[in-house]
Amino acid sequence: MKNRLLFIFLFCAAAHAANGEKILRITFQVAETGFDPVKVHDYYSGTIIEAIFDTLLTYDYLARPAKLVANAAESLPEISADGRTYVFRIRKGIYFADDAAFKGRKRELTALDYAYSFRRFYDPRHRSPYAFLFTGKIIGLDELAEQAKASGSFDYDAPVAGLQTPDRHTLVIRLKQPDLNFSYVLAFPLTGAVAREAVEAYGDESPSHPVGSGPFLLKRYTRSSKIVLAANPGYRGKLWDFAPGDDPRQREIATQMQGKRLPRLDGVEVSIMEETQSRWLAFQRGETDIEYQLWDVAPTYMTDDGKLRPEFVRRGIQLDRTVDPEITYLYFNMQERIGEAANPVGGFSRERIALRRAIAMSYKVDDQIRIIRKGQAVRAEYPVPPGVAGHDPGYRSLIPYDPRAANALLEKFGYRKGPDGYRRQPDGAPLVIRNASTPSERDRQFDELLKRSLDSIGVRLEIQKERFPELLKLEKQCRLMTRMAAWIADYPDGDNFMQLLYGRNINESNNACYRSKEFDRRYEKSRRLADGPERDRLYHEMTRRMEVDTVWLLADSRIRNALQQPHVVGFTKHPVLHAEWLYLDLAPRPGD
Amino acid sequence: MLAYVVRRLWQFVPTLLGVVLLVFFLFNFVGGDPAYLLAGKISNPAQIENIRRQLGVDQPYAVQLWIFIKQIASGDFGASWSTNERVSEIFATRLGPSLTVLVPLLAISTLLAMAAAMLVAYLRGSLTDRAIMIGCTVGQSISILVYILVFQYVLAYQLGWFPVQGWGVSFAENLLRYSLLAIIVGVAVSLAPDIRLYRSFFLDEINQDYVRTARAKGLSEHRVMWVHVLRNAAIPIVTNILLQLPGLLAGAFLIERFFGIPGIGREVILAVERSDFPIIKAVTIYVAVATMIVNLAADLLYKAIDPRVQLK
Repeated sequence: MKNRLLFIFLFCAAAHAANGEKILRITFQVAETGFDPVKVHDYYSGTIIEAIFDTLLTYDYLARPAKLVANAAESLPEISADGRTYVFRIRKGIYFADDAAFKGRKRELTALDYAYSFRRFYDPRHRSPYAFLFTGKIIGLDELAEQAKASGSFDYDAPVAGLQTPDRHTLVIRLKQPDLNFSYVLAFPLTGAVAREAVEAYGDESPSHPVGSGPFLLKRYTRSSKIVLAANPGYRGKLWDFAPGDDPRQREIATQMQGKRLPRLDGVEVSIMEETQSRWLAFQRGETDIEYQLWDVAPTYMTDDGKLRPEFVRRGIQLDRTVDPEITYLYFNMQERIGEAANPVGGFSRERIALRRAIAMSYKVDDQIRIIRKGQAVRAEYPVPPGVAGHDPGYRSLIPYDPRAANALLEKFGYRKGPDGYRRQPDGAPLVIRNASTPSERDRQFDELLKRSLDSIGVRLEIQKERFPELLKLEKQCRLMTRMAAWIADYPDGDNFMQLLYGRNINESNNACYRSKEFDRRYEKSRRLADGPERDRLYHEMTRRMEVDTVWLLADSRIRNALQQPHVVGFTKHPVLHAEWLYLDLAPRPGD
Repeated sequence: MLAYVVRRLWQFVPTLLGVVLLVFFLFNFVGGDPAYLLAGKISNPAQIENIRRQLGVDQPYAVQLWIFIKQIASGDFGASWSTNERVSEIFATRLGPSLTVLVPLLAISTLLAMAAAMLVAYLRGSLTDRAIMIGCTVGQSISILVYILVFQYVLAYQLGWFPVQGWGVSFAENLLRYSLLAIIVGVAVSLAPDIRLYRSFFLDEINQDYVRTARAKGLSEHRVMWVHVLRNAAIPIVTNILLQLPGLLAGAFLIERFFGIPGIGREVILAVERSDFPIIKAVTIYVAVATMIVNLAADLLYKAIDPRVQLK
């Protein structure tokens, strides 16, 4: 009996490991929601979508900061001088993966597929979380969406002036406003082309039946557990041809990969593992090949200066570190009132600005990085993070950490301490700052750090605990006083961050509910400019304006530490692309 | 008997109504508005309103409550708000993995706990009894999380006897490769409280007159314990197992999350994190109904096993 059991064990293990294929095994820490590009809003689903569908544009794998290159388009678009018209020529000979929806015929990717795919974002029935990428931009489509709301169905065949296909392989997009950065939207993974027949064939089941023309296709799918991708046999293929920078790691990758036909992998196996211990142990046991998300145990495998510990180096494990294109920031609600109540941190009076400034000066971002991030973050000085067009590494914030000066500032503007040791407002009313957060362990750490900071300047803090959906609701209604928020780039352009402070985005993404004529005027001007010195100058002025008003305290940008097994070849974390699998290879694993 | 069953079934109605009202209240007044979660990073009030309309959460509360009741009556809870998957499909596909772990877990832990409990009850007051009881007290006071972390670290990582986590395609692979560690952890967690509880059931029986009579008649200790005591102690043990069943499916989320088992417990936690009301509704109603049915079944079982029991 004992021998029999042993045999079954060995059989199962052998069946699992040795099939000779190059299968990359990775993990997600949060379950996906589906793979229909217009219906998802989570990072993980977007990652799979990136591997399955073809966007018009994509990014150079090695260029830093991220650089747009053509993907399904033959080249970068022809953009009219006024920045309103984009013309794309679609490569010929790209085919969707074979699927029953095509009834046995080869189905070529055409300009019509992109036109159809973009229209889907406007269809109210899909309630697309990423509709904002297109809303208000393409001539005629907002109007079509309004008609759909009234009639109950979206007319996909109605002619639209802003979206035309003069021939099968040419797509012309006409915008309402000049936008020289619209190309970034067309490299966003969710803007990949879907085939209308497939979408209509699968109907409500489309999230679990993605049919694309990208390098991989969905082979097996167990929701919230396992996603198995296989190399798309009909994929047109690409050559690995990227110029490395000065980074020795990039040079090494280029030496290993230059000229290879892509994809090299036969498939990708994604396991959903929510728990850090499971992911960490599985990686150490060699059950997974790349781990992106091990912040909590970073001190276990890294030294304080960001180097891999010797025991892991000896095992050939590689570490790739990159700063995520994101910022975290403590925002102040700038409205004078929150609902019916006065908002002690809102408005533009000198006293209110002084209070916000003092709070910002009392918060030690370095402690946030050291204690909460465990050293795995860098200080954010500028609203545009590293790796994003418009970032300025030389910019330094006007707001230092200086609790003594913060106390003096509050004294100067009449915030006197009462008998309980806490300050009162200049008119004698109690001063209570209410910071909103979720009941998570991570947010509790932020609350404690903020409490310690505010105690150091004698300002009373209350914590408003809300579940995440409620928090979002209150935030969009300008009903939170302060909150530590985060924003990760949808596309690597500074506009994606600067829009967070634009007055017309109140109730949408401007969660500080900040409205400044000076800021807004410059922002509107910046939108008509491409990335360059003139736009950089405007961004500087806007950032200084924000600091003078003290709307945000910029905190940090996290470092992503990607661990790789020795047999992974060609991996470096791209700041924007999530599914770098197309560019990787696998050497034989030990024992293969 | 029939009158009793009918009366108990009739009592299901107000109980279920209470559960429905409680769930409805908690979701609408405590849970937060799911539209804001589904709307994504940048959304305007019109988009939020569009989502609310599609989900039906813009309807008056009375209408929403009526729809909820109709869903219970039809057994169709619609589709998940976050993945669009039918709730019935979610149950159908997640039930298998949950049962693959829970059925062997329950069977093994019950058998082991019964055997150990009978032994310590028989040896009551001895060193063995005391040692096992101290071990059970210690075991019971340790969190399940500690069991999972330690067993996963030692048995999967250090010794390499099992994969750290995972789930495959075939039933045999899942049972023999991926579920074993989860089952061992589950058994280890439930053994201590079960032994203590079952020991008390056995002790109650050992002290009964019929046991003394059996011994006086000269029956062997083997027969006394295995036939008479075990049979009578089995009544509360079976009841205890039955009462555990409904909550077990939804409550095994920690084990399922750590070992990557795509079961119902994990799905429930995901639904709560995503404010996915259709799934939360369905699971809550399932647990409530199953608990009521199991309670009734346990009462009827009492009567079947022990004819002296009167059902009133």
